[in-house]
Amino acid sequence: MGTTGDIRKDTGRTIFGWIKSRFPTVPYADLTRVVVEVDQRQMPRSHAEKYELKTIWYWYPLYCLGGISFVAFIVLTITGILLGFFYVPDGRLEISSTGDLTNPAWRSMLIIMNDIPFGFIIRGMHHWAAHIMIAAVFLHMCRVYFTGAYKKPRELNWLLGVVLLLLTIGFGYSGYLLPANNLSEGAANIGINMSRASPVIGDQVARLLFGDINTLSGVYILRFYWLHVFIFPLLTIGLIVLHMGLVWLQGVAEPH
Amino acid sequence: MEIEHVKHKILEGRAGFPRQYGPQRADHQPGIPLFPQEATRDFVTIFLLVAIMFFLSAFVTPFLGPARSPQLSELIVPDWYLLFSWGLLKVADIFPQFTIGEGTALKTEFNAAFWGDILSGIPVIFLLILPFVDRGRETRPAKAPIRSAFGVAFLLAWIFTSSLYSIREVVAQRWVTPNGAALFPDATMKWFFVVPPVLVGLTTYIALRRLAYQPMRLWVVPYVAGLTAIMGAQIAWIFLSPNGLGPEARPWIVPIGIALAIAFAPMVVTTLALIRRPESFARKVSTWAGLTGLIGFLAFYLILPRVTNPNSLGWVLSVLWPNMNTLVFFPIFGILTAWMGTRRPYSSYEYLLNECYQCGKCHTVCPVTKVEDDALGGLNLVYNTFKKQHDGVPLWTCLACDACSAVCPLDIQYSDYILEERAKVHAKMAADGGQKE
Repeated sequence: MGTTGDIRKDTGRTIFGWIKSRFPTVPYADLTRVVVEVDQRQMPRSHAEKYELKTIWYWYPLYCLGGISFVAFIVLTITGILLGFFYVPDGRLEISSTGDLTNPAWRSMLIIMNDIPFGFIIRGMHHWAAHIMIAAVFLHMCRVYFTGAYKKPRELNWLLGVVLLLLTIGFGYSGYLLPANNLSEGAANIGINMSRASPVIGDQVARLLFGDINTLSGVYILRFYWLHVFIFPLLTIGLIVLHMGLVWLQGVAEPH
Repeated sequence: MEIEHVKHKILEGRAGFPRQYGPQRADHQPGIPLFPQEATRDFVTIFLLVAIMFFLSAFVTPFLGPARSPQLSELIVPDWYLLFSWGLLKVADIFPQFTIGEGTALKTEFNAAFWGDILSGIPVIFLLILPFVDRGRETRPAKAPIRSAFGVAFLLAWIFTSSLYSIREVVAQRWVTPNGAALFPDATMKWFFVVPPVLVGLTTYIALRRLAYQPMRLWVVPYVAGLTAIMGAQIAWIFLSPNGLGPEARPWIVPIGIALAIAFAPMVVTTLALIRRPESFARKVSTWAGLTGLIGFLAFYLILPRVTNPNSLGWVLSVLWPNMNTLVFFPIFGILTAWMGTRRPYSSYEYLLNECYQCGKCHTVCPVTKVEDDALGGLNLVYNTFKKQHDGVPLWTCLACDACSAVCPLDIQYSDYILEERAKVHAKMAADGGQKE
């Protein structure tokens, strides 16, 4: 053991050293500086600030719509994880003891709404955050359109945004199929019919997306559950990171 | 030292990151700090948003309804953001239905569902190609009137009317004439796909061009006169053709005539004023005609059922609402366009000066800077004005020779601005009794 007290020389002899030799802490400890730096960060000056242009202040609230949709997405993720503990993605038809048609997915919705503590409010948050997110995404797109923010050099980010808009609508559609109620049944039928209308590959598209060419088997619930909780979130989180990263790199496009 | 290995990861010194820390730091950029200013604003927005969500979920519980059943009886309406697609699917039956490639592997049925798919794809394709079609540099909505008008017409009006069409059954049941017919027949709602978006787009275009000081007479006069003529022809058809008014509506011809007169008279007056009188006068006429028409119609709507048979209003609406595209939208958009196309934009030349990116060409050619003593000291007329630094010198030294405008890459009419500012000062002096302040 060295006499300098330098802990680095103890590597392999102590428990801390054993861990440290495998996971060097200094880079990570040093990265905490980044936290300090971010805390002290100045927001980059916008074009309008830099050149002291007269900006039109009443447009500024419209610039928080992208952020609002992001916050709504975070809320949706949290509430969605909570709902996932109780939801049963099984839409197969059953006959209840009273002779009514039912299914496990719908029954799990009843449990969430009536029996789980705060279940109805978690579902309510998920529901309303979804509506707010879609509205915010649409209005965000309108803001970008009307302020010409899709122009060079931001074409790629606009395309990412269009894909994100479609994904958001996909989230909405797959989300309201899941309760397996009458709305779900009707919407799934419309979706299946629209998929089947595409020439040549229509039935294959319907089978791929909905699991069947009609809703009788109820397998569409499982398909859209997996899309809703895994495929779409995976794509969306990746694209949101890219989308926001490009805004960070290219700066906010504000008209002046 | 391990610190050497991670030095490149430190953001210190990069753009936007500080090199000094603590309250004494001297390397502040003139921006807004993330903490606490930006963060406070963000947290207020986030908390407000979450509070709204909690409020809604506590008081408006999402509907669950009965379990799904293959025997659907009720009308299915998807969530609001998919209504446009559902509406397009429903309107697709106006397209020809045929099959190509019968008997081959590539058999394609052009049925309503396929047309609906194609129609729903149009907005997506439009959004995807947009940045490659619109390659101009202008970003401000008011300075890009074609883009803005198209956006208002297509993204807002057209999406709205197609969403509306998806609930045509609800509309047809909810609003009926006294004899039970639909107040908004299917044909009327189909025309909603065309007429309101076109009217909205044209009105927006004319209003935005006018906002940028364009004389829009050549647009406004044919547009408003055309709407008036079409409306007049339709009203004539309603009263003169044997098929114009149904036998059940004919006893109510007097109130129907009054309602149509209230809608049509402001259009006629406005059109005549636009054609015969100066713009400023036409603008006043359109304001008063529009207000009178609006108040007149509201009064008529409220008073008629009280003074006559309560059904009378239903019969008047049975003529107005099925022809909403012409008899209701034409006066609204006609008078709105007449007003917006003839008004003097309230925003001043600051709006145009804001284009300036300070290339300095105007200063180079400005003759005043060549002779004034301040020339070497930096009297820059345009720059000082732009910075709102007129202490009287730039304002009254300008010759209004327009040399600056001639070289301006953005075509800013600086001397117009100077003349307007001088006129304002004179007007103010006149208002003060000719005395300087």
